[in-house]
Amino acid sequence: MNISENNVNNYTILSLQGILNASSAPKLKTYIAGIPEEQSLIIDLENVEFLDSSGLGALVGIARKKKTSNTIMRLARMNERVKKVFEITQAYTLFDIYDDVSAAAGA
Amino acid sequence: MMMFQPQQELKKRGQIKTPMNPILSLTLQADLRYVRVASLTACNVAKIFADFNCDAADISEFCHAYELAVSEAFTNSVRHAQPSQPETQVTVRISSEHRTLAVCIIDANPPFNPVTQAPDINSYPEGGYGLFLIHQLMDTVYYARENNTNTLTMIKQAKMTYTENTWTINPG
Repeated sequence: MNISENNVNNYTILSLQGILNASSAPKLKTYIAGIPEEQSLIIDLENVEFLDSSGLGALVGIARKKKTSNTIMRLARMNERVKKVFEITQAYTLFDIYDDVSAAAGA
Repeated sequence: MMMFQPQQELKKRGQIKTPMNPILSLTLQADLRYVRVASLTACNVAKIFADFNCDAADISEFCHAYELAVSEAFTNSVRHAQPSQPETQVTVRISSEHRTLAVCIIDANPPFNPVTQAPDINSYPEGGYGLFLIHQLMDTVYYARENNTNTLTMIKQAKMTYTENTWTINPG
């Protein structure tokens, strides 16, 4: 999995690309750990080809920390395969989810 | 929601039938690096199977179900492998019968309780989704413990809406 970062409107936008599973989730956690806790975050999922519950667990863990520190975390551009995992587990209830990144950064 | 039940018990009652035609058996080192090999293999076999047995509109979802379920099951097998046995392996075995495709994940880990329930999502759990997801994605899931090995069998039936033409030879 590749992670690219840019900053818009005081949000850090992380664009993930590839597979988010048990093998790659630690990379995401390590990357997030290097971002200041109070930094507002948008995770762009458009190019995530596959996500399983280990990937979901990593995102939920990040969401929990952001909630504890009262910091914004948003998800953007979920494809259908990713959406399916969020729907089955009802994890969508834990996140603010946007159809595009600019809406997530402007809202 | 279907409950996990011991394989022997279900077999005895005739509620399940394990597909009999072997397609593939793949044994991998119990290492998270190979999760993708297992899940993509299952996905690709499901794709070939679905091309012949599934409505075109449902093929993608059918294959994704196997890709995801095997990713979950294989990950669980690796995570529960005993560190004292570094050569631990996990076998993916796929078989079919008519419109039914079965994937077995076989390991020599300690026995586990396959009963599961929906995770309490409001507590922001980072784990505990795997068996629940498998259960939701598959039509039938059962667990067997035999000869010190665990076998988790995941079965799904392909849906085909048209009725096949069949020729009946009337002996009369």
